[in-house]
Amino acid sequence: MSAFRLAWRNLGRNRRRTALSLAGVAAGTAALLLTAGFVVFSFRGLSEAMIHGGLGHLEVARAATVAASGATLERPLAAGLDDWRELQAAIEALPRVRAAAPTVHVAGMGSTPDGRTAAFLGLAVDPERERRMGFDLKLRGGHPLADAAPATGEDEILVATGLAETLGLVPGAPLTLLALDPDGMLNALDVRVAGIVTTGVQELDTRYLKLHLATAARLLASESVSNLVVTLDATRDTEAARQEIAALVAGHEPALAVTGWRERAPFYGQVRNLYAGIFWFLGAIVFVLVVLSTSNTLTMAVLERVRELGTLRAIGASAGQLARLVLAEALWLALFGALLGGGVAALLIALLNALHLQMPPPPGAVNPIDLRLAWVPEAFAGAVLLMLAVLSLAAIPPLVRVARLRIVEALTHR
Amino acid sequence: MPALRGVDLAIGRGELVTVAGPSGSGKSTLLHLLGGLDEPDAGQVFVDGTDLATLGERERTLLRRRRLGFVFQTFNLVPVLSALENVEYPLLLDGRPAGERRKRAAEALAAVGLAARSGHRPDQLSGGERQRVAIARAVVHAPLALLADEPTGNLDSATAAGILDLLLALRRERGTTIVIATHDPALVARSPRRLVLRDGRIESDSAGERPR
Repeated sequence: MSAFRLAWRNLGRNRRRTALSLAGVAAGTAALLLTAGFVVFSFRGLSEAMIHGGLGHLEVARAATVAASGATLERPLAAGLDDWRELQAAIEALPRVRAAAPTVHVAGMGSTPDGRTAAFLGLAVDPERERRMGFDLKLRGGHPLADAAPATGEDEILVATGLAETLGLVPGAPLTLLALDPDGMLNALDVRVAGIVTTGVQELDTRYLKLHLATAARLLASESVSNLVVTLDATRDTEAARQEIAALVAGHEPALAVTGWRERAPFYGQVRNLYAGIFWFLGAIVFVLVVLSTSNTLTMAVLERVRELGTLRAIGASAGQLARLVLAEALWLALFGALLGGGVAALLIALLNALHLQMPPPPGAVNPIDLRLAWVPEAFAGAVLLMLAVLSLAAIPPLVRVARLRIVEALTHR
Repeated sequence: MPALRGVDLAIGRGELVTVAGPSGSGKSTLLHLLGGLDEPDAGQVFVDGTDLATLGERERTLLRRRRLGFVFQTFNLVPVLSALENVEYPLLLDGRPAGERRKRAAEALAAVGLAARSGHRPDQLSGGERQRVAIARAVVHAPLALLADEPTGNLDSATAAGILDLLLALRRERGTTIVIATHDPALVARSPRRLVLRDGRIESDSAGERPR
């Protein structure tokens, strides 16, 4: 009959109180797991949305450009990659790599025949590779860019909703693009609108357009590209692939930099920090609530057994042995409450995911997002450990009472 | 007002002594002092030649665990443990191996005539049976002395007589010193040595000793 076995049986004495304590611990655990599930799913969703929204897992670009925090959009290819086709072939031969796509960042002005003008931020891509890389194209009208390079005079673009509205553009409408080439000369190119798209970010939609690499080459009078965007088979391989590609391009002249998606997306880090702050704040509240509620019930359990505890002291139990008994009861409550909470959380996660609930678009975003929760084994293990710590803390007041127990008074306690 | 005053008392090894007297006369206090549960404001208590005042908390706990046994009026068994587990408990506290604990607890239960009830919990036993379990718990570790505070106070006279028979047998067979605080005249009448307390003083001692 160890302290743990006796403590286990003691929990059965007042089943209602034990049930209440277990419910408190379980509710706290479930709240933590549901929050962790939402946070982790949001992290995963956000990271995958950013990666497959065009960021890719890795970027290979001139080191000087990366050090200067991005290309100079006014003269986008002044520091571009000239030998990108050889680099692309070498990178795509690596085992973890799904594809390496060249892109050109371009900025300029767009003018319509009726005299409307607006600044644009353009991204030139290889449509076939983008599709292979799993990049989302949120088409709101018209058709996507053709895979093949357009013939001279048949260049097409995709325009974001906000920019299309500003310029009064619809699929098939003509537009003249104006941009500086690498030498600083102003070039113009007539194009037609193939389709209307959205980036999912309201502010970006007012300036964004997308064009074929061949169209960008005509506009900028250059075959160079700004960078190679690399996607992998699995996001977890990002660091390993970064090292492999860095080794591959080491010694390249001019020097190249391989940058991971997290470094290119400070927004992700900010969101993660915000969510982590919310999670820890909630954790602190749960911690305090569970300590307060269980401390009271543990103290009651001691007060109801003063005479029995006095008897045990009389027959030779040390204060430490009684303290271990009380602590063991607290740890049982923590363990079973956390397991119960884990079960409740798993059921709620399955239920909420099955309901396919949608949440309003986050600030700055366009589309509503699915409410999805992830089951996070690490969070469950952490919640169990947290509850063991919480109940150990909650056991301090009853432990103090046990330590101060005067045997003679306890034996006559009613 | 002191619970005990001027008590000068020696109890020999293997004696059975009853301590009688009205409520508030100091019977329980005397037992508490003998058992190291309480400390006197003045004076000394020796158990087997050791002055209890020289013992720290840990030593007093070990003295109670290994050399003394306690029986209470309200039995004070642990309700969630079976009779055997209750009897086993002092040996568990002393860190004895499980096999030894089980064997000695079973023997102690058999000695009080409850071998067949070893798996029952206290609420499944009668008052007399509970007190027998409590006695088995008090003697399972073969203590030097057994201190019983109103052991028959909650029992009918026939059951109380049975409990006294049991204590007398334990004394006879094991040589255990037994001190019983009681109101029960029948129990006092059968006691080899009878002590009467009044207002914290020893009023009479059948052994011929007198208070100073």
